[in-house]
Amino acid sequence: MKKLALVLMVVFAVVSLLSAKVVVWSSENQIPALQKLAADFERDYGIEVEIQQVNFGDIKSKFLTAAPAGEGPDIIVGAHDWVGELAANGLLEPIPFLPDANQYYEVALNAFSYGGKLYGVPYTIESIGIIYNKDLVEDAPKTIDELEQMAMEVADDEIVGFVYDAGNFYFSFPFIAGYGGYIFKDTESGLDVNDIGLNNEGAIKGVSLIKKWFDEGLIPQGANYNLMDSLFKDGLAAFIVNGPWATPHYRDAGIDYGIIPFSEIELEPGVTPKPFVGVQGFMINAKSKNKIEAIEFAVNYIGSFDGQYGMFVGERRGTVRKDVFDFISKDAGPELYDVLQFSKSASVGTPMPNVPEMASVWGAMGDALGIVINDQDTVENALNSAVEKIKTAIGE
Amino acid sequence: MSAKRLIGFIFVLILLSVFGAFGLMSLILLWANANYGLAIILGILLVSIAFVLINPKGYPYRYMIPAMILLFILTIYPMYYTLKTAFTNFGTGHLFTRPQVVQKLLSDYYYIPENPEEYSFSIFVKLEDYKPTDNFIVVFKSLSDDELFIAPKPIAVQKDSEGNILLAESRMFSVKNDRATVNGVTYQLVRSSQDGSILSVSANGERYMYFYSPDDNTTKSNAPFYLSEIRGIWLKNAEFTNPMGQQVRLNPNRLYTDFATSERKYEIKVVTSIESGRAVQKNVVYNKKTGGVLIERDGYFYDIDDKGQEFAVEGYISNIGFKNFMKMFKDPRISGPFVKIFVWTFTWAALSVLFTFTIGLILALVLNDRKLKGTKIYRTLLIIPWAIPAFISVLVWKNGMFNETYGIINRFIVMGLFGAEEPIKWLSDAFWAKVAVLLVNTWLGFPYMMTITLGALQSIPDELYEAASIDGATGFQRFRKITFPLLMIAVAPLLVGSFSFNFNNFVGIYLLTGGGPAIPGSSTPAGATDILISYTYKLAFEGRGQDFGFASAISILIFVIVGGLSWLNFKLSGAFEEVNR
Repeated sequence: MKKLALVLMVVFAVVSLLSAKVVVWSSENQIPALQKLAADFERDYGIEVEIQQVNFGDIKSKFLTAAPAGEGPDIIVGAHDWVGELAANGLLEPIPFLPDANQYYEVALNAFSYGGKLYGVPYTIESIGIIYNKDLVEDAPKTIDELEQMAMEVADDEIVGFVYDAGNFYFSFPFIAGYGGYIFKDTESGLDVNDIGLNNEGAIKGVSLIKKWFDEGLIPQGANYNLMDSLFKDGLAAFIVNGPWATPHYRDAGIDYGIIPFSEIELEPGVTPKPFVGVQGFMINAKSKNKIEAIEFAVNYIGSFDGQYGMFVGERRGTVRKDVFDFISKDAGPELYDVLQFSKSASVGTPMPNVPEMASVWGAMGDALGIVINDQDTVENALNSAVEKIKTAIGE
Repeated sequence: MSAKRLIGFIFVLILLSVFGAFGLMSLILLWANANYGLAIILGILLVSIAFVLINPKGYPYRYMIPAMILLFILTIYPMYYTLKTAFTNFGTGHLFTRPQVVQKLLSDYYYIPENPEEYSFSIFVKLEDYKPTDNFIVVFKSLSDDELFIAPKPIAVQKDSEGNILLAESRMFSVKNDRATVNGVTYQLVRSSQDGSILSVSANGERYMYFYSPDDNTTKSNAPFYLSEIRGIWLKNAEFTNPMGQQVRLNPNRLYTDFATSERKYEIKVVTSIESGRAVQKNVVYNKKTGGVLIERDGYFYDIDDKGQEFAVEGYISNIGFKNFMKMFKDPRISGPFVKIFVWTFTWAALSVLFTFTIGLILALVLNDRKLKGTKIYRTLLIIPWAIPAFISVLVWKNGMFNETYGIINRFIVMGLFGAEEPIKWLSDAFWAKVAVLLVNTWLGFPYMMTITLGALQSIPDELYEAASIDGATGFQRFRKITFPLLMIAVAPLLVGSFSFNFNNFVGIYLLTGGGPAIPGSSTPAGATDILISYTYKLAFEGRGQDFGFASAISILIFVIVGGLSWLNFKLSGAFEEVNR
């Protein structure tokens, strides 16, 4: 009988341990930093944090399946543009209070806000910039006109002056937004999806600029991401538009490249292109049984200076805390060049809309850019029908 | 009954009861999760398994049962589920059922009023062998007037299936002169003689020792026990009622380091309304803060904010009847391009079958020639397009072959070999994009046709050809009169299958062109090479998040079309009759 009691005790002990455990789904890169934070949390609170590795691409779909059934993790790492869909589904718990909120870049907090509430603790920010090959181009241009000129000069039968995935709305957005085009109007209570600014004067001006590059033969027809990537790796492209995920491969390929942040190149005097800013962060499962513990871990551990700095050391990606940025940029060596340049680029950007309605924008704008690039219709008409498409897709 | 059979029977019985017990448990769980469809199917399966194993008459069905289980789980149930989903608005914003959402509105929505009464608190626990237990009391201190309150350990009033406490309740009692009376028991605060801090609380001869307070750094070493055993289990879902009758909970705005008066945002009340002359009692959810009743519309609960604007609070799955089906015909953005897309889908599937089969047949005939040396090598080489995953080869075609400026076809063949001035706009011109997708699909599909044709050719007896050559038939005559008709008997059903496959060949289209190029001036997302399935994918998933209900409705429509066409095809080709003969 005593033995039985002992066994039961052990079972109960295990069960009680299991009940108070915060589970985090994270992709590979953040794991070492998170594990350290988890150990601190367990020491301070006596509550175990289990970090489970899930491929970044699978996190959202798995979470969407598991969370409604009450089986999901307590915290997931994810991109800010998931927030709208997950929050609309009632799967995210708002963060009630973020200590040191003033230390965070506003763009990062905005990115994780939906309907006026904060739905995540951001940790990294990224955006694209113009990358150039220093063997082909001596100095970084200060304006887009200069860039065009330099690209024209360097281009010959083999070498392409300027190439990027122009048919992809993500990469063409900086030039559209720079002149004043916007997707959904930003209001106090979130984005107004009924106010679409993709066929306004600024958007037309931006798309016309892109069209000009193709008309003048600056960018070759059929340009796409893979083409741009391989041309640049082979040293056959002078200027491209790409993000921080690509530069390590260029370094490996032996390309001596420089990065021009969008903040340092002008479309017109005083007007810079505005790239999309992508923010990643940690979100809390609304159906979690350990919400309070999860919020505490996310806010006070992951969100702290030490947590964010640890995350940065593990990944070398743009940080969202000003004090961390100041700390690392103070004695930044050449190894931090990429991070700092892309961070500067992000400083003039706008967060990618996180509303579910964004799903229809990609296709519609991709279509419009394709039509314009292939000269099948005027810029105005293409953009008008793109807006029409978005409106019919989201208006019910 | 022999002893051996009896033992066997008992063995089966034991096995069956164990299996049945597990099955029954799953059934109950499924039922509890409102998964009625699957629960019923499981019930039927359990009964039929028991019947087959116990009743001697069921003996012949013994080997059918596993197949039936798989059929149910993999085919019938998904079909039932798709059918069911087609009549709902299941999708982004509508993931939960209405009862789940109402429950959530009632239990998860709290607000802290603008000027809440806040309380700092300290925890006093009973020690046993100098170890803390989870027998504790809470002493609150009002931040506004330093008044003290004492609250006994809350009582769990609601638990989930795993025993976690969802709601616990307790009351706060005012402390006067370091004394408070709780349910006839007097609690006495024991203070330190040096600084007047409270050391312990005694009640009925029991002593609760000062254990933890978030404001007191000297108790930090007790934090793990407090957080995991006291707050983690009891306090986080606890609701205290203060003497004024207000609800007091952990304050999220201070990250749970103090307590504050809080209000439930939503509650249920019964309203009576007159509907067609009769008084109808209805449960409605209303906002306690504004007093407004939540509006239920299109599967959403709407509330009204300070500016008088409606906003969606929570959505739930609801039956919307034939709305998804009607949308396909009534919504101009869907019905508009439907005919055009339907014609192209048909053309695409038919031409894909025609091209792959023609090429496959020619190659098979060549390979079947006995005089040809090294057929194995040729065969292996020709099967390669089929063996390489389509995901990879389609991308190679897209980027390596069809690129307008750098693609091999334009650069070396069109402009190099034929000296054309202008490159062909492979993926951005509507006509050439169609040519491109057909070209790639033919490349991917001919080895399959070649393989099945080769197999079918082996089955044609040589005697027929010998007889034909004695009669003086030419090679073409032999092919037309013997090879082709005999071949078709075996291959025709597979051609119909290939047609249906290509009718729904989402990957082929989506990877190469994504349905593009776009049609200038159109206000629908339909592209020039979109087939039904890729177009509907865009409609269902690239609008406002996901729309599983609509996607299900469309897939039912596609099923009807493909099923009907296949049936017609079988009928017309007389394939069944031929095979049966």
